[in-house]
Order: sequence, then C-alpha cells, then structure tokens
Amino acid sequence: MNEMSFTAPCADYEHDLVELLEGSLGPERARVIRLHVESCARCRAWQAEFAAFDAGLAAALPRPALSPDFERRLQARLSALAQPANRSDLRARADREHERLVEALRRGARRHALLDGIGSAAVAICVLALARGLLEQADALQLLLEGPQRMVILGGIGTAVALAALAWTTLRSRLPLAG
Amino acid sequence: MDDGIERHLAAGRHARAFDLVVPAYKDRVFRLAYSILKDRAAAEDAAQETFVRVWKALPGFDGRAALGTWIYAITRNTCLMELRRRRPTVSFDDPDSTEAQHAAASIATGPADDPERDNLLRLVETLPRNQQEAVRLFYLEDRSYETVAEQLGMPLGTIKNLLHRARKRLMEVARPDEVKAA
Repeated sequence: MNEMSFTAPCADYEHDLVELLEGSLGPERARVIRLHVESCARCRAWQAEFAAFDAGLAAALPRPALSPDFERRLQARLSALAQPANRSDLRARADREHERLVEALRRGARRHALLDGIGSAAVAICVLALARGLLEQADALQLLLEGPQRMVILGGIGTAVALAALAWTTLRSRLPLAG
Repeated sequence: MDDGIERHLAAGRHARAFDLVVPAYKDRVFRLAYSILKDRAAAEDAAQETFVRVWKALPGFDGRAALGTWIYAITRNTCLMELRRRRPTVSFDDPDSTEAQHAAASIATGPADDPERDNLLRLVETLPRNQQEAVRLFYLEDRSYETVAEQLGMPLGTIKNLLHRARKRLMEVARPDEVKAA
C-alpha cells in the first residue's frame, strides 16, 4: 500500500527487517540484511520507525495478571463440583439395588408360576385317577351313598378337599417371593 | 515440564496430573483468554472454566495431541462460547462493523492521561479479530511467535504474516501524515 512512501522499506526485505530487530533471523540471513540496511536509507528509516512503534505498542498494551487466589478459587469450585458427583454415585447405587430387587421378584414370580403349574397338573391327575376308581366301583359307591352313612362319607370327602387346599395355600405362601 | 504430567497421566493418576497442570498452564491460559476476551475479569472466569473442563476431561485425554495444544483448544472454545453468549451477532472480523467501532470508541472512554496510548489501543481495536488476538498475545508472551502459534492453534508462518500485517497497518494509521507526505 505504501511502497511509494518515503518510510516504506524495500518490499523484499520487509519481513526480514522485523525479524532482524526481534533477533529471530538465522546468522547468515541476519548478516545479509544488516549489509542491506547499511546501504539503504529507506529500510534504515523504516526499521527505526518500526522499532519505535513496536516499543510504543508493547508499552501501551495492558499486561494483566491472574489474581493471587486463582488456584484457591478453582479448588473450591472443583470441590463443589465433586459433591454432586458423590450424590449421583449414591443415586446410581440405589438404582442398581432397585434393579437387583426387581429382577429377584421376577425370578420369584416365575418360580411360583412353575409350582402352580405343577400343582395344577398333580390335582388334575389325582382327580382323573379318583374318577377312574369311582367309575370302576360305581355300584358299590352307589350303595354306599344311598346308605345311612351317606352324610359322613360326603363330609369326609369335603373335609379332605378343604385340608388339601389349605395345605397347598400354606406351602405356597411360605415360599419366598424374591430371591 | 509436561513430562511429569504425562507420566502421571500414563499411570492413570489424573488427580496428581491435574495438580501439576494448573500451575504449569494457568498464566498462559489466562493470557490467551485475555487476548480473546479483552477483559481481565472475563479472562479469569474463562481460565477457571477452562480448568474445570480440563479436570473433567483429563481422564479421557488420549495424548494424540500435545497436552498444551489440547488445553489451549479448550481455552479458545471456552472464550468463543463466552463471546457468543455476550453478543450472538458480533463480527469483530469486520473492523468497519458497528460493533467494532463501538468497541473502539469504548477505549476512548478510559482515563485520558495518555492520549497517545489511548489512540494506539483504539487502533488495535479496529483490527480484524484474529489480528487483534495475535497482537495482544504476542506482546503478552514476550514476542514469542512460537508460543502465539501454539496457543492460537495456527502455523508459525501464518502467525508471522498475521502479526506483520497487523503491525504494518497500525503503523500506517498511527502515522498517516508521515506516510502520506512522501
């Protein structure tokens, strides 16, 4: 933009003039640039102007520093963050315990269903066997049921069925649901 | 400096590693945040937030990037989120934008005991955002191109060009009479 102005340096040397000032040029390149600067008034003027401007800019820009209690405040913040993390751990443990309990209940329910099935099958077999025996002894049974002890026999049968149902219910209720 | 940190990280001692990370990086993280946010208190908040994020993410740090590169990337992201939170539509890349002019004008509202300095700071505010950040960081980091490149996540050559363009432009606008007199 300002190549035509008095203070503009030779375009090929512009970057190197800055790096020479900042000491970041390699020794051979630095020697070449120094030789050029000695013989070029424009580059010499521009370099001096740049050096003054650079120093002014460095002095003008703020140089803020961290508060002395930066680390203490950070630790306090991290401690506060760690607290909810512990609470969430407790919550996660409670959730896991709840899941375990639900799974145990499911297992218990499956076992009960199996036992119910076995019990029902056993009852059906007994009923069928009994019915078969009764059919084989139908004549004798008919005489018995028509005899004077009919009520005693029917009462005995009813009591036996009631006792069997009671025993089954008791046995089933003693089985743990969970586990 | 990072060797001790990396040894702890490799051994899974993340808390020990973090205890070394903070003192090693706090000043550079703060200066990087300041160069982006241009406000000391906001930069300190961003530095705090950066280390909280580092603390959370350190167990997942896989070492593919250098630790510093990773921390500076987190710092830049934290600052950009803060900038978006402040003004979602600001574009400091355009020095002629209303926001940039407003920011430049706000410098002039400071103490008027050094008009030359105020003028220079106002001019810096008119640079595109990436040049502003590079200039601030360059002088905060004692004119280290390498440190600026690492912290801004840019190649060294790009940073050198960026700084050269920025300072040349500032020089031209700071001394317009001399330049135009030729």
